[in-house]
Amino acid sequence: MTTTLILQMIVAAVIAAIMYTIIGAAPGADETATIAPITLVLVLSGLHPAVILTFFISAIVACKLIDAVPVSTAGIPAGVMSTPMVEHAMVLKKFGLTDTSIRKIASGAVVGTFVSVPVSLFLARALVPFSTVIKQYGDPVFFIGAVLLALMSKNRWVALASILPFALLIQGLRHLYWGIGAVPKGTNVFTSFFLAITIGPVILTLFELLNKEKRESMKRFDKKSIYLKKAQEIGKFPNPFRILTKKEIVYSTMASLIGSVAFILSPVGLTTFFGELFASRTKDPVEKASLAISTMEALAQATYFSGTLIPLIALGIPLSPMSLGPANPLFNAPPVFTLQHNMHHILSGLDFISATLIGAAIASAFTYFVAVKYSQQICAFVFKKIPHEALLGLFFSLVLLLAFMDAGWINIAGVLLIGIVAGVLYRLGVNYGVLFMILYSAPWIIKTLAG
Amino acid sequence: MKSTYTEIKESPKGKDSKMNIEVWEDLVNIKDLVISLIVCSVMALGGYFLAPNKPPKPLFFGLSGAILGFVICSIFIKPNRIFIETEQED
Repeated sequence: MTTTLILQMIVAAVIAAIMYTIIGAAPGADETATIAPITLVLVLSGLHPAVILTFFISAIVACKLIDAVPVSTAGIPAGVMSTPMVEHAMVLKKFGLTDTSIRKIASGAVVGTFVSVPVSLFLARALVPFSTVIKQYGDPVFFIGAVLLALMSKNRWVALASILPFALLIQGLRHLYWGIGAVPKGTNVFTSFFLAITIGPVILTLFELLNKEKRESMKRFDKKSIYLKKAQEIGKFPNPFRILTKKEIVYSTMASLIGSVAFILSPVGLTTFFGELFASRTKDPVEKASLAISTMEALAQATYFSGTLIPLIALGIPLSPMSLGPANPLFNAPPVFTLQHNMHHILSGLDFISATLIGAAIASAFTYFVAVKYSQQICAFVFKKIPHEALLGLFFSLVLLLAFMDAGWINIAGVLLIGIVAGVLYRLGVNYGVLFMILYSAPWIIKTLAG
Repeated sequence: MKSTYTEIKESPKGKDSKMNIEVWEDLVNIKDLVISLIVCSVMALGGYFLAPNKPPKPLFFGLSGAILGFVICSIFIKPNRIFIETEQED
């Protein structure tokens, strides 16, 4: 590893930390939709994989840590992962403890990072022998994964029923592209289909807007009022480990351990379940709420790390909700990365460790500092200056661009089609994990069906 | 006379004043959304096609175009949020 590479990694981590401190504070900024497209572009641009991994790690840390600000100050979740925390953060806000809330969440995030980075790296090493067993099954692994994720989800029957039809749609389009020569035969269009699923619900809404009756029957709202209490000035800069009580540190550490081991399960499900479980035994409302938010945040960070690092280092195939979602471009972004040739195969153990440490350390330090010190200013800036329309426009245009690069003009229609279907399925209760697993298993499913 | 003017300006109240719909957990104005989608898409694809045809330049130009589009939209579109800062907590 050269000095230039390390410098590049540091620059990437700083850029990601700044970028995602802003994007992460915006309401409704889903992790997959905000992090995956940018990571994809970086992968396709041919940057060194270690630099991209550093960028990614820094992005997830910053994106999650900064949640503390909108959740605590305005009670608005900044993404799916922070939704379970809102209720508890609001308790603290009611007691006039907005500052405490931000600091507890931010400190929880630091604890989660501290615990889960070494644990994930260790677990990944320990799992390497099993990886050959898992890989022997090769293609059917994703099909089994799709079925398992479907069975574990809330709406299991609709999820199960959608596996075959959705696989048919994906493979059908690929065969069409081969047939008309949009891409060479055997090239599986992947990136743009993946993004189409990610923004499926938005594409569906956009199409509904084109229907006059639908448009007129849509719920109309006036402007959204956001109330923000002025926070106190900070005198001395707080040490994250001093902010939490002993009990909170113990519980956050335990939660991070559980989150790291259970990397294959849904992060949101884990966060809600263990956060509520740990907090339920405390009676005092303030104590309970701060225990809940710090534990949840620690656990969320831990599932982020373990869900990314363990499959990446040990397996090289995306087998966790995290690696199927935001971290997907690290596994599969043809033509740069494929399942046979990705970061797992390219990077050395030292690369993984240094990328993770640089990314995590820079983002934690930067975003922790900013969240604790400038929460007011960030909230005001994002809520007043960044229109939701512009964010949607940015992601939509990135999807269009990558769709065109994947297979030409025809693929823009193909991506819209997949987006509409994925959006409908998502609304019916099929979660992203199942849809992504189907995307991976589609070639095998169709080959098996055809006999 | 002046007051009548202001009244006329404010008149389309009631149902029509609520122009925003919810997309992805936040409110958007349909007209602004359409403008933003078009601006960002044109900038992204425009950047891609105008770039020198040597990879990865088209991709970088496309990305820069998309981000430039985002900045332009952020300047011209007002977010549909009313931001109310309340006084110090008690």
